[in-house]
Amino acid sequence: MTEKRITIRATRFDPEKDRSPRLQSYDIPFSDESMVVLDALNHIKAHVDGSLSYRWSCRMGICGSCGMMVNGTPKLTCNAFLRDYWPRSITVEPLTNFPIVRDLVIDMESFMHKLKSIKPWIIRKQDYPLGAGEHRQTMEQIDEFRQFSECINCMLCYAACPVYGLNNEFLGPAAIALARRYNLDSRDQGIKERLPVIADSEGIWECSFVGECSVVCPKGVDPAKAIQQTKLDTTMRFVLPYGNRDE
Amino acid sequence: MKAPPASADAPTSAAPRVYKPEMGRGWWLGKRHYFLYIVREFTALPLALWLLWFLVEIQRASNGPKGYYPHSSIGFVVFSVIVLGFALYHTYTFLSLAGVIIHIKGVPARLIVLSQFALWLVASVVIAAVLIGFAR
Amino acid sequence: MVGGGLAGIRAAIAAVDVNPRLNIAMVSKVYPMRSHTVSAEGGAAAVLRPEDSYENHAFDTIKGSDYLADQDVVEAFVREAPIEVIQMEHWGCPWSRDPDGKISARPFGGMTTWRTCFAADKTGFHMLHSVFQTSLKYEQIHRHDEAFATKLLIEDSRCIGVVAIDMRSGRLQAITAKSVILATGGLGRVYAFTTNGNICTGDGMSLAYRAGVGLKDMEMVQFHPTGLPFTGILITEAVRGEGGYLINKDGERFLKRYVPNKMELGPRDIISRAMTTEFEEGRGFEGPHGKYMHLDVRHLGEELIDRKLPFMRELGREFVGIDIVKDPIPVRPVQHYMMGGVDADISGATPIAGLYAAGECANVGLNGGNRLGSNSLSECLVFGAAAGRAAAEHASVAMAVGANPVAALLADETRRIETSFLDKKGGEERIGTIREEMQHDMDAGAGVFRTKEGLETLTRQLGSLRDRFERIKIEDSSRTFNTELTAALELDFMLEVAEAVAYSALAREESRGAHARRDFPERDDAKWLRHTLAFRTDEPAPRLEYRDVRITNFKPQARVY
Repeated sequence: MTEKRITIRATRFDPEKDRSPRLQSYDIPFSDESMVVLDALNHIKAHVDGSLSYRWSCRMGICGSCGMMVNGTPKLTCNAFLRDYWPRSITVEPLTNFPIVRDLVIDMESFMHKLKSIKPWIIRKQDYPLGAGEHRQTMEQIDEFRQFSECINCMLCYAACPVYGLNNEFLGPAAIALARRYNLDSRDQGIKERLPVIADSEGIWECSFVGECSVVCPKGVDPAKAIQQTKLDTTMRFVLPYGNRDE
Repeated sequence: MKAPPASADAPTSAAPRVYKPEMGRGWWLGKRHYFLYIVREFTALPLALWLLWFLVEIQRASNGPKGYYPHSSIGFVVFSVIVLGFALYHTYTFLSLAGVIIHIKGVPARLIVLSQFALWLVASVVIAAVLIGFAR
Repeated sequence: MVGGGLAGIRAAIAAVDVNPRLNIAMVSKVYPMRSHTVSAEGGAAAVLRPEDSYENHAFDTIKGSDYLADQDVVEAFVREAPIEVIQMEHWGCPWSRDPDGKISARPFGGMTTWRTCFAADKTGFHMLHSVFQTSLKYEQIHRHDEAFATKLLIEDSRCIGVVAIDMRSGRLQAITAKSVILATGGLGRVYAFTTNGNICTGDGMSLAYRAGVGLKDMEMVQFHPTGLPFTGILITEAVRGEGGYLINKDGERFLKRYVPNKMELGPRDIISRAMTTEFEEGRGFEGPHGKYMHLDVRHLGEELIDRKLPFMRELGREFVGIDIVKDPIPVRPVQHYMMGGVDADISGATPIAGLYAAGECANVGLNGGNRLGSNSLSECLVFGAAAGRAAAEHASVAMAVGANPVAALLADETRRIETSFLDKKGGEERIGTIREEMQHDMDAGAGVFRTKEGLETLTRQLGSLRDRFERIKIEDSSRTFNTELTAALELDFMLEVAEAVAYSALAREESRGAHARRDFPERDDAKWLRHTLAFRTDEPAPRLEYRDVRITNFKPQARVY
């Protein structure tokens, strides 16, 4: 029985040698139905071309390292099964809208900066002493923000967002969803502190609700929902008399 | 939100070149979802044009019912029908998303969306009744 | 610190709390949110309930360790763990709650009461993100993301920093410091079938080993009973904690013949051995990816599964194509954790002044021969904080680091990397081939059950792989983000620690905890109630020394569940 094979086309770019990225084709054995695109890349690197560079770690969809464009759609390569594409070939490219450092590796420094800018930590007016034990919180209160806390920072949403593509200064879906996660956390009192960054012209108001971010999110965070709800919330605070609350 | 030029703590001299991809003008033709989004946003333009034309028609009708002949505004009627299509599409997409935007604890999203459509229906009936009443 | 996982970040914050005028460099070969802490699922153990007691937690841990744990360390650990859990809560960790709003707890393997605090079934993910995001507010913490540490800088018997490759530019840089904390995690990738991610290659252990620090109890490798076949993805112990059953081919809950009192909540080493024995006696299911058992949670009901085990349902659906509400989960023992590691004391200090270690890469004496589930996340917090404090106190009074020795050491290391790897011409061996052979050999020789012949063969195989490694070829000549270079360096580290594992296992002629010898099936307290310390030599074999276990209140007894 002849073994199955599959063609993988991967972006190659070495800034020391290449002016712009190009695609390189590899023909590899498709030896197991459970193989994912990441397995294919690992096979290429180990047995065919050791110079292919890409990020990966957990291979179970929780670390967020292995996000790449697979046939034009942002996906976690550890969760993209070859059997869903075979016998067609698979084109693997670095995440769209990001500067390319090398091959399939993108520059995510601007994201790290945005992450920090929304102050993703519990802000309290007065420190709650350790000796007092835990803040009381119910499962219902956790349910309020649980969905937005599931983000693995894989940045597929930024690759899917045309607004971000046209304007790299846009705060972006993941950062705003995380801000909302903290704003909704019953223990946090930092809504006002986050407001200048959120309600900035490059913040929520840059979003025009394309909604593709929520479509590609592998963890169901629904950042589009977070952004629109934040828009409504921010406006109401501005308009209504309770707008100056901290919680 | 401007990002700093490079990590302030990494070695600063001669960071290697990165390749900055450009977004092509045809980006919105690539995916069906993007295309429908552009259509949705685009509907604002014909609506705006219709309003301007409507003002012109009002101006024309200001000379009283004797001076205003509907058949001289066939173009307006046709245009109005087209724009009605756009307006309905825009309203449908907007109201469908109400469930995402409005978050009331304990109320399922579908109910919120249905209530918005119901309100729209009621408002349309009321306004239609008023206008037709005036016309009579 | 070297390493940006739970222990590393916790250490950084602890250091800042001790002395806010210190600058902390966090050197990590990946962005911190990619650290393997993120995949931990079950929970973090701590005594938080009035019906629980420190003595109880300590005894469970010591018995679980098969009495190889240093008991003074355990007793200090159980007192600190609850404080750390509360601290995490203050930092935003979304611990699951009881109806009264207090932090909830679930039953876990080897624990006699419910003390494992959890955040749904993604505890490690939530803890890592909470602590990492909290660390962003400290201006004193400077991150060197994607900086690959290649060597510790040692001068005058003290550690003065690390050499690291900046992945972006490919340039080697010396990051000097008055204290260095190693928090680089485990070494699972020396095995073929492991829950560990790509980055778990024993880097910190090897760095310390090369600097002359002993690696303690390297033969103690934990195999988690329930990994998915083929991928090795972890199915959390919490599944058994919530009431899941392990069933063999005959439909039998076979653990009644091995751990009749605790059943599925027995300690991991005993259950892994039970499953392997069942496989050998023909009572396992056969599949395209090897033998497996069924882990059955159908009787728990959809509501409980969606509330307490949602991530497991997602993993089952995405990677195996099953719905755990309706289908049993295929599972088999998989390498998961390393009890062994860098020899460190209760405050994380190693024998080298200025060098500390915390988390999975360290062995402070907590876990002994077998770690109980949910002790590791607590361990990272308690000993990460301890190491951070000790390192900060040391740095506050230590002498400044001179520029001259550093420049010379950096030049040496740069030369080594260039001649041995980057500029090397010729070479016929592929990195991937050597790595896969090592992984296969380790699975066979240093798995759940070991024999003298198997281990001797393993040491020979590792020796020959080490020779072949000298002839590897590196196809990637770029300096920018050269992951082939880092793969080679990681393989170098892995071969080093794999040899420590193999030789330590060969020398320990008894069965204790996770180290099970077919030729020495009994525990021998008279001869072996001591830690193995492996010191690097120029030979393949390390020099082995032994250190007695510190017993305080709990005399070693037979370990029966």
